[in-house]
Amino acid sequence: MPERTVFILKEVGNPNKARIVAHLAKHKGEAAEDLGKHLGYPLPTVYKYLRELEAARVVKSEIRNRTRLYYPSDFKLEVSPRSLMEIFEEQSIFSLYKTRFGADGMKRLEEVTEKAKAGKMTFRQAASTLGITYYEFVSLMDETGAIQ
Amino acid sequence: MSKKLVVNSSVLIALSRRGTLEQYLKQKTDEGYEVLIPKAIARELLDDPKRLARKIRKMSPTLASKIIQSVDAIDAAIEHELIRVETINYRKYSRVVDNVRRQLSQLEAKPEHAIKKGDPELIVLIIQLYDKFKEKIFVSTEDKGLLRAIKPFSDKVEYEVIEMTPVWRRYHI
Repeated sequence: MPERTVFILKEVGNPNKARIVAHLAKHKGEAAEDLGKHLGYPLPTVYKYLRELEAARVVKSEIRNRTRLYYPSDFKLEVSPRSLMEIFEEQSIFSLYKTRFGADGMKRLEEVTEKAKAGKMTFRQAASTLGITYYEFVSLMDETGAIQ
Repeated sequence: MSKKLVVNSSVLIALSRRGTLEQYLKQKTDEGYEVLIPKAIARELLDDPKRLARKIRKMSPTLASKIIQSVDAIDAAIEHELIRVETINYRKYSRVVDNVRRQLSQLEAKPEHAIKKGDPELIVLIIQLYDKFKEKIFVSTEDKGLLRAIKPFSDKVEYEVIEMTPVWRRYHI
């Protein structure tokens, strides 16, 4: 998934965020407050970084005993001239969608597309259910051959 | 007088992505059709994809420029009047708009306020054109859900669905 590489690079390219990921890799399951104390970052900054890291699926979180704990996601970066070339060559709305919404999103896309193809909802309703624009939905249908 | 053909954006988006929109529209014009879309659809054909292209430009420049090309093709078709953008008379058709919204919200069990403008405007445009010209209106869409939503209005309007002919289907990218 080439775009995912760019998302990860962008996030861990910031040394402060990279330190958070490194710290979480060592101390798995830490709260934002503890992270701030250990790394000496102001709490609002820690929350901002965690939000961005989580959006890029570099870290994940779960609530335990009413506290949100953060963990590193499993990822591996491969940066080479070839991988960079692929990033800028293999692009489609489908790959963007996949990167943005992950495996759960793909499952939802399949369900919603089936409904739309069967006429159980309009394409616009399908797009709004998936949280994407109508243009993106039609492009996805086009790229996957769901519309001819 | 030309035959009125209301085209849903799914058709226009698919053809513009394949680079065959102008060819399709010229053929329709030669066949005696006037291609029409409502304003709400024009917005989703032009504004939304432009926003998307801006968002992904840095990360996916090739895809962003492909999107812009498809938008430009639609924009040019509107500019050259191969597609005519029609305004819905909301004052006259407010009841019809409400009915369409109700139909659509039942289709997917969603509240009426969550219904996007494009679907109701497209259906209302078909009715508005029929009221004005009193002749059969032609509709082109790949969206079966939308066609289901039009059906309850078939006593108010005479319409015919025309599918994309196989020659256009062959241009799949």
